[in-house]
Amino acid sequence: MFPPPDPVSYYQAMTAVDVPRFVRADGPDKVTGSGRYAADLQQPGMLHAKFLYAGRTHARITRLNTEPARTIPGVLAVLTAADVPDVRYSPGVADRRLFATDVVRYESEIVAAVAATSVEAAEAAVAAIEVDYEPLEPVTELEAALADGSPLVHPDLDSYDIDDGIVAHGNTAGFSSIELGDAPAAMATAATVVSSCYVADSCHAAPIEPRAIVAQWEGEKLTVWSSTQVPFDARAGICQTLQLPTNRVRVIVPHLGGGFGGKCGFHFEAHIAALARAARRPVKLVFSRREEFMVPDRRREGMIVDITTGLDDNGHIVARTGWIAIDNGAYIADCAFFPQLAAMHVAGPYQVPNLQVEAHLVYTNHQPSGSVRAPTAPQACWALESHTDELAATIGMDPVEFRRLNGIDNDTVGPSGQHYERTGLQECITAATELVGYGRDLPEDEAIGVAIGWWPSFSMPAGAYVKIDDDGAGQIITGAQECGTGAVMTLRQLAADELGMDPEDFQLVYQDTSAGPYDTGATGSQTLFNNGRAVVGAARQVAEQLKALAAGQLEAAPADIVLADGVGSVVGSPGASVSIAELAATAAGGELLLGHGSGSPTQAPEVGATCVGDQGMAAWVSPQVSCHAVHIRLDPDTGVVRVLKVGAAHDSGRIINPMGALGQVHGGVIMGVGQALTEITVYDHDGHQLNPMLLEYKLQTAADGPEIEVKFIESAPGDGPGGAKGLAEAPNVATAAAIANGLARLIGHPVRHLPMTAERVWTELTGGIDSTDATKRQEA
Amino acid sequence: MAFTIATTVDEALERLADGARPVAGGTDLVVGARQGKVPLPHDLVAIDRVDELLTIGQDDHGARIGAGVTHDRLLSNPLIVGDYTALADGAALIGSPATRHVGTIGGNVMNGSPAMDTGAPLVVLGARIELRSATTTRLVDPLELWTGPGTTSARTDELCTACLLPALPARTGSAYVRLEFRRAMEIAVVGAAALVRLDESGSVLDLHIALTAVAPTIMAVEGTEVLMGRTVDDNLTDQVAALASEQASPISDLRAGDRYRRHTVGVMARRAVQAAAQRAQGTMIDVPVNRAIGIGAAR
Repeated sequence: MFPPPDPVSYYQAMTAVDVPRFVRADGPDKVTGSGRYAADLQQPGMLHAKFLYAGRTHARITRLNTEPARTIPGVLAVLTAADVPDVRYSPGVADRRLFATDVVRYESEIVAAVAATSVEAAEAAVAAIEVDYEPLEPVTELEAALADGSPLVHPDLDSYDIDDGIVAHGNTAGFSSIELGDAPAAMATAATVVSSCYVADSCHAAPIEPRAIVAQWEGEKLTVWSSTQVPFDARAGICQTLQLPTNRVRVIVPHLGGGFGGKCGFHFEAHIAALARAARRPVKLVFSRREEFMVPDRRREGMIVDITTGLDDNGHIVARTGWIAIDNGAYIADCAFFPQLAAMHVAGPYQVPNLQVEAHLVYTNHQPSGSVRAPTAPQACWALESHTDELAATIGMDPVEFRRLNGIDNDTVGPSGQHYERTGLQECITAATELVGYGRDLPEDEAIGVAIGWWPSFSMPAGAYVKIDDDGAGQIITGAQECGTGAVMTLRQLAADELGMDPEDFQLVYQDTSAGPYDTGATGSQTLFNNGRAVVGAARQVAEQLKALAAGQLEAAPADIVLADGVGSVVGSPGASVSIAELAATAAGGELLLGHGSGSPTQAPEVGATCVGDQGMAAWVSPQVSCHAVHIRLDPDTGVVRVLKVGAAHDSGRIINPMGALGQVHGGVIMGVGQALTEITVYDHDGHQLNPMLLEYKLQTAADGPEIEVKFIESAPGDGPGGAKGLAEAPNVATAAAIANGLARLIGHPVRHLPMTAERVWTELTGGIDSTDATKRQEA
Repeated sequence: MAFTIATTVDEALERLADGARPVAGGTDLVVGARQGKVPLPHDLVAIDRVDELLTIGQDDHGARIGAGVTHDRLLSNPLIVGDYTALADGAALIGSPATRHVGTIGGNVMNGSPAMDTGAPLVVLGARIELRSATTTRLVDPLELWTGPGTTSARTDELCTACLLPALPARTGSAYVRLEFRRAMEIAVVGAAALVRLDESGSVLDLHIALTAVAPTIMAVEGTEVLMGRTVDDNLTDQVAALASEQASPISDLRAGDRYRRHTVGVMARRAVQAAAQRAQGTMIDVPVNRAIGIGAAR
């Protein structure tokens, strides 16, 4: 069962791949408790920050009086919008400010911030601030929000700074479409047409470490320690909102206690920096679990998906149309690319010659959505793949056969017109179904569901330095950020491979914007794909230096020097060798062993489709594909579903660090099980979150983990180092969809509401309406 | 703020008489305070180091479980697992290993939650709760102790010192079954405990059922007399499910709707009676029965 005591032997037991055995550089710190997280940091004279939140989802501030807070002993700073530069920010649509000005648009919007000598004094000060509100009608339903006459979340949207290419108007924060061929005309010729509608509720990333920030000024220089996945983004946000030059701001991330996308983006660093400046003391913010759920502009977006597909007599897809509404929440955060990405997931890794998908990103008075591991994909894939099983059932074809027939293959064109020269999709389908024994006889309360999914690799700028010190040990100084995936840890292996050294010979200096060169951060599964390229480039420079030094000592040509097992030796004369440590000692007396790397990001491939509101998501660099086959059991008396085994086959290009890669698939699958069955954020009619706590927000636990068997398909190399693609998000795409398809087999039809909670499943089984559903109850 | 560590019951009772509140594992008190339900009391007396509260004893009349006995000990104690299995089933489902390691039976009982997992087992096992103050000692029926969600009939100067369980006749088995959506850190959506005593031919001599989280307090199912003398078959368990569903008065909240609760509490009662009957016949079913018989398809 999962997890086994020794991952190396576990992995080797099920694949022929040789697993490199090296200890994560951050592992011992994390498992022994000696590692320090942002909340652990203490500075002399440090104050504690607390925020005043709106507490209503849509209202106008008519009076704000902070004076009572200022008189509370120990309070050294109280800030509102009036105390910081009047800057509107957010990527794509500049729709928010650090503090509410006139209107609050979600319940956790920050109205004021306080710094005090104790947490208690800060809390008392927040409670003492007087605010009067005039209620405004909340916008919480997606279809109603798009209808004419709906109240607007941002009535002045047209006057905001909006990036080129973003189509925003009314309550639409962004509209995107993908159109290929002539879908309506082709649909009219179809032998079979099936239409489906699915609704996914929102959920949360729920990292175990609630975020924490410490800010400290030394003269005009600011240092911020933050639990962020994207330190360079955080720095940019601080500089933009507080109007500071980049070189005065340093963001350092101590160990990060998970993120899952929830800690992407710029969040509260500027609030704390502004408090520290006003109070002339270091200031620390530590979120409660409740705040971690409610405040950040990161939540997995709720979604409505309508799909119609037409098939010809042979079961080939001839046309697909789709309509998607995505709950953006009150501010756009990083959601601008979500509509087009969701459209790609509703199109799916299929050969669809005629496609028309339209997607609306909808402003509501909910907490803002934002990138959570594989944003838009698990929900959209769940909808599409449930629909795909409906298609197969309608024409009486086995659903796996249907996917083989219509799925992309080598040298085929996908739904956005992109040509795929190599893809491991068909091999993934074979592998995953074999892993769980698809097709065998099962007890009547068990079934196997299958789903396919895909995910891009994101091509980004990235930089790193590599140096070898005088004792022959190496250091990698990188801008990359570790959020638990092990991607930064794996950079050691890439450097070691280039230099003929052991990964354990390298230390990492990372998560510090003033030490490492720029990197996008732990986002978009991009670390190994891009920073790996940078590290390889830097290591190659050092390798050239080492070869030149060795060549001099061994009286050979540099081109004939091979670096392996910690020594440089002459090709064909293994006896003629010198250790890298000796070469490093020599170099330390003169020209140092020092390399830097960046490299050019891979250019995006051509899109065949026509796109309105194009955000560059319709053609993917190094597309990853996957197939998950899930064996489930249903308790028909209660609607409780248990996942017994997951077979996960992934084409994520060449796997650099199999042990780390395996962990990513395990984690993605478990997260997918939660999204499928238990994880739901419940709102009341006005948009207040009702379950911002781990007791009522049901993450899967270690005890729930099913058996997970993984196979990596490495026949379609990517553009990353050594043929790698991204990996961290792809395993989170297809699990919920596969569970849904197993469940639909047992019930006889799909459960059209995600998550497919026990109560919803039971309601389907008893043919009842969804009247007992938690969400619906709150509306009643 | 005052915090005293008591080493004897008398010392703890003296502090209670002065207005202190008791704390053992703190799994309700501290978590509740963190969630903003009730602020931490300003005057606390820790009772987790009072030796008299930490024992599990047995005599001819039955068992005496000290209020400070942790769930972890309950679920692994041979006497509890062997004779009072429903209580071990319940203890094994509470929270996580960490919760079970510090949480106590006395704390669970006195917290008075209708969702408590030791409550229904204690009711069907015929438990009496021992309450002591500096001047009095009394035994209370748990159904009279619990007066509403989170409220009890105990006075503030009274401390729960033990749960007393009567000796059980031969061919008696018990079980506690809970609906769960995941296997750890779960709180009862509904649950049911059953005690079944059979005669040598397998007919029912005694049958008690109690339900979790479908009323303001743990509740006993009435009207089981009609089941006496019958064998535990599908007919009987259908009737059990119907009795439980009819008598339940569940609410709709975040965790589940009333209709779903009313249905599933019947399912839990049916499965509890089935498991208890098997145990009465000498069949070994591992603790907790949830895992063993596949509640929520959990095989």
